[in-house]
Amino acid sequence: MVAITNGTELQSVHSPAFLYEQYIISEEPYYRPQRKEVQLFQSAYENQIPVLLKGPTGCGKTRFMHYMAWKLRRPLITVSCHDDLTASDLVGRYLIRGGETVWIDGPLSAAVKAGAICYLDEIVEARKDTIVVIHPLADDRRMLPVEKKGEILKAPPEFLIALSYNPGYQSVLKDLKQSTRQRFLALDFVYPAKERETEIVVHETGVREDFARTLVSLAEKTRNLKDKGLIEGASTRLLINAAKLIAGGIDPATACECAISEPMTDDREMLESLGEIIHSLF
Amino acid sequence: MIALTAKQYDQLCDELVTNLSLDFFEDDEIDHVLNEINSYDPQVRQKVLALALALAHASSSLVPGLLRHIKTASLFLSSDDLDHWLETAFDFRDSQGIDQALGFLSRVDAAHLAAFQSQAGLQLHEAAPLLETYLRAMSGRELKVMPADEVFTDTANIYLPAELTRFPDRERNFPLYILASANGWAQIALGTLEPMMEPASAGEDEGFDIEKFFELFPDRKLAIDLYTIIESFRTEYYLMKELPGLMKQAFSLKQSCYLERPPLSSLPEQSAFVEGLWQFYLAGRTKGATPKKVTEAVSSLYGIQYEPGPSESVKLLFKIYDAVALLPGRYIPRPAPFFIARIRPESVAESVREQRAGRRKKLEGIINDLLRMPDLVPDGRKHGPGTARETPVESSREYLLIKGRLMDVDKELRSLIEEKGGLPGSTLVKGSEIEGGSSINLADLIDKEEEDLPEAEGGLPYDEWDYRRRGYRKNWCLLFENDMHPGKDSFVERTLNRYGGSVVALRKKFELLRRERRMSRRQKDGDDIDLDALVESYSDMHAGISPSENLFTRIERQERSIAVLFLVDMSGSTRGWVNQAEKESLVLMSEALETLGDRYAIYGFSGMTRNRCDLYCVKKFEEPYDGVVKQRIAGIEPKDYTRMGPFIRHTAKLLSAVDARTRLLITLSDSKPEDWDGYKGDYAIEDTRKALLEAAGRGIHPFCITIDREAQFYLPHLFGAVNYIFIDDVRKLPSRITEIYCRLTT
Repeated sequence: MVAITNGTELQSVHSPAFLYEQYIISEEPYYRPQRKEVQLFQSAYENQIPVLLKGPTGCGKTRFMHYMAWKLRRPLITVSCHDDLTASDLVGRYLIRGGETVWIDGPLSAAVKAGAICYLDEIVEARKDTIVVIHPLADDRRMLPVEKKGEILKAPPEFLIALSYNPGYQSVLKDLKQSTRQRFLALDFVYPAKERETEIVVHETGVREDFARTLVSLAEKTRNLKDKGLIEGASTRLLINAAKLIAGGIDPATACECAISEPMTDDREMLESLGEIIHSLF
Repeated sequence: MIALTAKQYDQLCDELVTNLSLDFFEDDEIDHVLNEINSYDPQVRQKVLALALALAHASSSLVPGLLRHIKTASLFLSSDDLDHWLETAFDFRDSQGIDQALGFLSRVDAAHLAAFQSQAGLQLHEAAPLLETYLRAMSGRELKVMPADEVFTDTANIYLPAELTRFPDRERNFPLYILASANGWAQIALGTLEPMMEPASAGEDEGFDIEKFFELFPDRKLAIDLYTIIESFRTEYYLMKELPGLMKQAFSLKQSCYLERPPLSSLPEQSAFVEGLWQFYLAGRTKGATPKKVTEAVSSLYGIQYEPGPSESVKLLFKIYDAVALLPGRYIPRPAPFFIARIRPESVAESVREQRAGRRKKLEGIINDLLRMPDLVPDGRKHGPGTARETPVESSREYLLIKGRLMDVDKELRSLIEEKGGLPGSTLVKGSEIEGGSSINLADLIDKEEEDLPEAEGGLPYDEWDYRRRGYRKNWCLLFENDMHPGKDSFVERTLNRYGGSVVALRKKFELLRRERRMSRRQKDGDDIDLDALVESYSDMHAGISPSENLFTRIERQERSIAVLFLVDMSGSTRGWVNQAEKESLVLMSEALETLGDRYAIYGFSGMTRNRCDLYCVKKFEEPYDGVVKQRIAGIEPKDYTRMGPFIRHTAKLLSAVDARTRLLITLSDSKPEDWDGYKGDYAIEDTRKALLEAAGRGIHPFCITIDREAQFYLPHLFGAVNYIFIDDVRKLPSRITEIYCRLTT
């Protein structure tokens, strides 16, 4: 027997109110739009098209999701994917409580029922057979079969699925299948422009603007070294870490070494070069 | 000199103290002298003491002066060199007396001390890899560093002294290289070397370059030196802004350079003027009274420091030049501070001419090809030649319309058109006259058709992609599969010895990778109970669903199921280090893969023309890694050319016959694909790209490891942005390759 139920109607029965509450983002997260991503996301949301966020690590993908969830006033359920993630981890399972079986929703089912935004972070880390679970949700069917319960959850219009991944990884084993890719609208994220990134670093850390500017200039220089000794240039996140150290009174060169160059590479010669760049800048 | 015992040393000290007190030295003065002497290394200390004693016998009043000189010399000389210097002073005393020795000791300027600096400074080749990384980070493009007699740049390379010995040790010389490199980079970034491009002096004339620009001045050397100074003020400001840390370090260096400059009064007026400007640049003041004209010039120099381009500098150059030319006395050029990038108009002009000529040739090829092409039907406008990128038409720009195709018009194309008095079959149109559409970017070059050569007998025929006709040339290449000629057996052994420790570490690392334990959940049987599964089954049972029987976890090693084929470039250009590094890499890789258990094959390739593509088998997939294979690795040697297409097609076929979940084709190469018969440039790149796409179509992941510095211009196009890696130093290849493989397959 397969019962088709509408997610929102069941919300009061299956998802306790606290669940909904804790995923609501009540305060506006700080986010500086890079291009037209806010408008595009909003439009995708209105048209119920799932979204794929591409971009290097630490460039603001997750922050963007928080911002959009706040802006659209929807709860945001985030799942960090890993290779042990199973389909029932996403959909849900029966558990025993006091001699009785209780159905516990997985984050994906919960998001469908709550009409939330479900954000699967670093999707390529998940096994390919797990990723397939989202397929029926990510096309015009917009439904989630819950095999265990023999029911199909129909996603309300408020529901949206979003994925993130970093196309810069050089592993042949980590790529998205075309059948997954071609269900999504893709937003390409890059590191913010110089002025904007400076502004972000200042806002996030309260560091003096001239330090922030120099940090951004350092990041730019490391990004020139991507694939020329570095796997990835310094992310905005690393800059913010360094800026926090500097704002806390640690001298800039040390802060940059600990928070930027050392995390990026172990290669002695590259570290030496980065050291020279840092010393030239500060 | 044999080291003194502590007792003997103390005795000498006592003797010195006695001498000094006899000459009415106060106690604190004596203490000062002793402290000073004791501040040196034991070996040097003994000599300083002996010298002081020798002087004290003549007159104690000379001792403090002596110690001052030694102190100064110690700043320039390493401990060993200082020892050598003092030894020479003793020789002077022995042969010519104490006065001569004292005279020698008092000459502590850099020029004299330089003779005593051993060549322990810093060699450019040691610093080059770091400097090139630094410059790449700064400029975002490839700038090579090359040795030369002075610092300058020709926009493609930065020339630096082959060695720096200003300071005795490596560490203190290094920042000097950085500073000089940064100065060179700043000149490129600020457009210093394109003074003639500015509207003030520019002609539309193509041949007007920096060399011609300086011919405008009767005293060319004076003009160049003045322009160098003017631009140095501008680069200084720019570097202050961009690299404040470096400029902070440079401050004391500039001060010490200032001290080495001559007083203005010692020079004829024109030279004194230029010297005055340099001194202002270094220290903000001059030695001796500052001439009024210098002060005026300096204030206008500060006025244009923040200009983004050289146009104001050019105007100022004319102004200052005129003023200086009025001064009496001939201009005698003097060396600029050593870290300043000198302007060498002829080097810049030649480098620019070379770049332009290359572009021009390509351009002519494109135009000629386009003119030969059939007219485009209107709706086919989107298709350009080959794979040139297209950009939307801007209404303010001009475009060349050839047979229904729109081309961007850049400087070279314009001059080409003007030179030929218009190109028949094409017209220039304004962007505003065209509605929408897009134009072709002049990024591609087209090479001449290669000559057809008689075909050889035998061999496997392979098609080759001709991007100009957008089709395959059927059975165009003949590929011959040969066994690699075995080389000396000892190569592998030697390599393993050479990398001794790291081979062990490598095996361990790959063993870990292999033994990476994976817990498989929900198994029918296994080592432990899967609690999650059990709870779930139990719950399912309660809920009336038939429970699963898969309730165990099992620890097992993940089946990697990876097959990799290494395709090794054996072209002539790999001769020497590259070949060595390739072979060593293969040895290490084989060791690692043997441990790991991934299936692998190794092939080398080279060839001469399309009728002779030789593939050399080092190790087939099914072959064990044994003595024969080891000998074949040793036998890999540089041969002819790199016609990549057929080899990729053939190895992709071999690879797809292997049963594995993941198939990798790793190419080791040092240069662009190229063959003797005209297989080069875009034709070669497009064919290789096509072959790689075909391989990808067979489910193979191509990946390229290269040491070609120009790789970034074509590899992203060939392999995709993430499917290649560039190794800047070939010697690092053996140690990097295993790491890359790890990253690729985990």
